[in-house]
Amino acid sequence: MSLSTAAGSGVTPGPARRGRLRRTFDKHWYAWAMVAPTIFVLGALVLYPLVRGILQSFTNLTETNQRAEVCSKTLGGAESCTPNPDRWHWVGLHNYTDLLTGERGHFWLLLENTIVWTLACVLLHYLIGLGLAVLLNRNFRGRSLYRVLLIVPWAVPAFVSAFAWKFLFNPKFGLINSVLVHLGLDPVEWFNHRWTAMFAAVVTNVWLGVPFMMVAILGGLQSIPAELYEAAEMDGTSPWQRFRHVTVPGLRPVSSTVILLGTIWTFNMFPIIYFVTGGQPAGETEILVTGSYRAAFEGLRNYSLAATYGVVILALLVVYAAAYRRVLKSKGEVW
Amino acid sequence: MSTPVVFDAATRLYPGSTVPAVDRLDLEVQPGEFLALVGPSGCGKSTSLRMLAGLEDVSSGSIRIGDRDVTHLRPKDRDIAMVFQNYALYPHLTVGENMGFALKIAGVAKSEISTRVADAARILDLERFLDRKPKALSGGQRQRVAMGRAIVREPQVFLMDEPLSNLDAKLRVSTRTEIASLQRRLGITTVYVTHDQVEAMTMGDRVAVLKDGVLQQVAAPLDLYDRPANVFVAGFIGSPAMNLGTFAVEDGDALVAEARIRLPRATTDALTTGEVVLGFRPESLERVPAGTEGAFAVEVLVVEELGSEAFLYGSLGAKLHNPQLVAKVEPRSVPAKGSVVHFRVDPERLHAFSTTTGEALPTA
Ligand SMILES: Nc1ncnc2c1ncn2[C@@H]1O[C@H](COP(=O)(O)OP(=O)(O)OP(=O)(O)O)[C@@H](O)[C@H]1O
Ligand SMILES: [Mg+2]
Repeated sequence: MSLSTAAGSGVTPGPARRGRLRRTFDKHWYAWAMVAPTIFVLGALVLYPLVRGILQSFTNLTETNQRAEVCSKTLGGAESCTPNPDRWHWVGLHNYTDLLTGERGHFWLLLENTIVWTLACVLLHYLIGLGLAVLLNRNFRGRSLYRVLLIVPWAVPAFVSAFAWKFLFNPKFGLINSVLVHLGLDPVEWFNHRWTAMFAAVVTNVWLGVPFMMVAILGGLQSIPAELYEAAEMDGTSPWQRFRHVTVPGLRPVSSTVILLGTIWTFNMFPIIYFVTGGQPAGETEILVTGSYRAAFEGLRNYSLAATYGVVILALLVVYAAAYRRVLKSKGEVW
Repeated sequence: MSTPVVFDAATRLYPGSTVPAVDRLDLEVQPGEFLALVGPSGCGKSTSLRMLAGLEDVSSGSIRIGDRDVTHLRPKDRDIAMVFQNYALYPHLTVGENMGFALKIAGVAKSEISTRVADAARILDLERFLDRKPKALSGGQRQRVAMGRAIVREPQVFLMDEPLSNLDAKLRVSTRTEIASLQRRLGITTVYVTHDQVEAMTMGDRVAVLKDGVLQQVAAPLDLYDRPANVFVAGFIGSPAMNLGTFAVEDGDALVAEARIRLPRATTDALTTGEVVLGFRPESLERVPAGTEGAFAVEVLVVEELGSEAFLYGSLGAKLHNPQLVAKVEPRSVPAKGSVVHFRVDPERLHAFSTTTGEALPTA
C-alpha cells in the first residue's frame, strides 16, 4: 500500500495534475452534465443581470440615450441613420456621488425609511410570530384549524393584501377610521403624514409576514425535546424561566435564520409600499427599492440611476449579512 | 437524613384510555434504599416514576415523600432530582452551568454553587470538562453530567429512568457499578427504572416487578430469583429464563414427558385442577444416565458455549414439537447436537404455579 503511493508521488506535478483533471472529468462527466443546466439558468437569470446592472450603474444610460443610432425618414421614404451624438457613455462614480450627496433623488430619506420599515416589520414579525407559535404549540381543541387559518394571509398574493389593507385604511370609507369614529375618536388621514402612512404599510406587511415566521418558529419549537422542559421543571424553573432558558436558546438556530431572511425580504419588499402608501405623502414613505423602481420606470426612465440604487441595496445587504454572520459566529453558532 | 417514599394505591389513567397505565400501585421505598423498578416495555415503569416526579398527574391514590403528601405538589416543590434517559442536558450551557442550573434558579450564592459543582465534578471525574458544552462530550460523559446535575442538588430522592440505555454494553456494566456505589455512598433514596432485569438485579437493594401497570412482586434480588410470586416474575427474572410448562398431575405426580415428578404434599393440596405449571431454572437440571428415577429425555438442538458456562437448548421428551427447554451443562463436556441426553430436576428447586391464577403454589 505505502509502496504504491510512494511510486505514484514520483510523477512530475504538471502532467500529473492535467491527468488528474482529465481523470476527474472522465469519471464525473455525468455529474457535470447534470449541473450544467442549473449553472446555465442561474448564469442567465442571476449572474448576467447582476453584472449588467453593476456596469450600468457606471454609465449615464437613460431612455433617451440608449440608442446607438438616430434614424430619420428621408423624403424618398427611405431611412437614414447617423450615429447618436448623445449616446450614453461611462461616467465613473458620478451616479454614486449624485445619489449619496442627494444631488438626485432623496437617498438619505429613503435609507432612513427603509431602515425604520425593516426594523419595525422584522421585529413585529418575529415577536408576533413567536407569540402565536408558542400558543399554537400547546395542546388545545381546534389547534389544527387555527394553524390553517393563521397561515392563510401567507397564501394570499401580496398585492391583493396590499389593496385590501389600503382600503381598510382609506380615510373616507375605510373600516379603521369608521371604528375610530365609533369609539368617539377622530378619524385619521392615514396617508397625509409620513409616519401614519408608514404605520399603515407596516401593519399590512406584518399581517402578511407573520404566518411565515409563525410556521418557521413552530417548527423550531417542535424540535426542542420535551425532556428539556421536564428537566427544567425539575430544576425548579417558572414558566417564564423555562421560556428564557429552554425555548429561546432552543430556537436560536431557527431565529437567526428567519431574522436574516426576513430582513432581506423586508428590505426589498416592493409591493406593500408601492401599493399601500404609493410614497404618499409626496414621496416621504418611499423605500430604496421603490425609489429604484421610480427611477427606472417613471418619468424619464433613468436606467443607470436605478441600477445605482440596486447596487447600493446589494452592498448594504451584503455588509449586513456579513456582520450578522460574524456576530452569530462570535456567539458560538455554527453557520 | 434519608427519606422514605410511599406510593399508596397510586393510579394513572391517561386521558382517552380505558385501562390505567399504572393501577393501584402500593409500594414503599425504605429510606436510603436503591429500588429498581423493572418490567417489560409499556408496563408503566416510566409512568410510575413520572408520577413520583410530578410530571404526570395522579388519577387516584396518593404519593408521600417522607411525611409530606406530594400527590398534588409541583415537581419543584418535591425536592427530587431526576436523571433522564436522554440526559436532557441544556445544550447551550456548559457542563458546569448545567450542573449548577438548579441552584442558580433557587438563588443559591455563586460561591456556594461553584464549590458544590466542583465537589460533584470531583466525585464523577468531570473536572476537565466543566467548561465544555454537552455537544462536545461522549455519551458516557454526558451520562455523568446528568448524574452530576442530580447530585449537586442534594435532593431527598433520586429518580432515574433508564439512564444507561444509551451506552454501549461495556460502559453500561461499568457505569452500573459506579452508580450503585455512588448511591450507597450518598445514601439518598433512589428509584431506578430499567427494562433490563440484569441491571435491576445487580443494582437494586430491592427489585419491584411491574406488568401491565400492576405490581407483581417486590423483593430483594435473590428472593425474587428463588421465590418468584407468580409465573410472570418467574419467567421474567433470570437469564436464560426459567423453564415453564404445564403438566398433568396424576396421583400427586406431575407427568413430565416420560418421567413422573413427585410433587410436595402442600402443592398437590393447593391444586384446583388436574394440571400444574412447573418451573425449573436451567441450573437446577441435573444431567443423569438414562433410566434414572425421575429422568426425562431431551434432544439437543443447540448448545451455547460461553466459556465459563454452557447452555443446552433441547426439546423435552426428545420430540421436536414438544416444548423447548434450557439446561445449564458442564462447559467442558457438552453433548453433541442431535444427541439425546437425560435430565432430572432437583426437587428442592422446583417451582409450582397454579394454572388458573399463575400464583406460586406452596412447595413445602
Ligand atoms: N401520554 C400518554 N398518553 C396515553 N398513554 C400513554 C402515554 N404515555 C404512556 N402511555 C401508555 O401507558 C403505558 C405505560 O407507559 P410507560 O411509558 O410508563 O411504559 P414503560 O414501562 O416506561 O415502558 P418502556 O420500557 O418502553 O419505557 C403504555 O401502555 C403506554 O402506551
Ligand atoms: Mg419508559
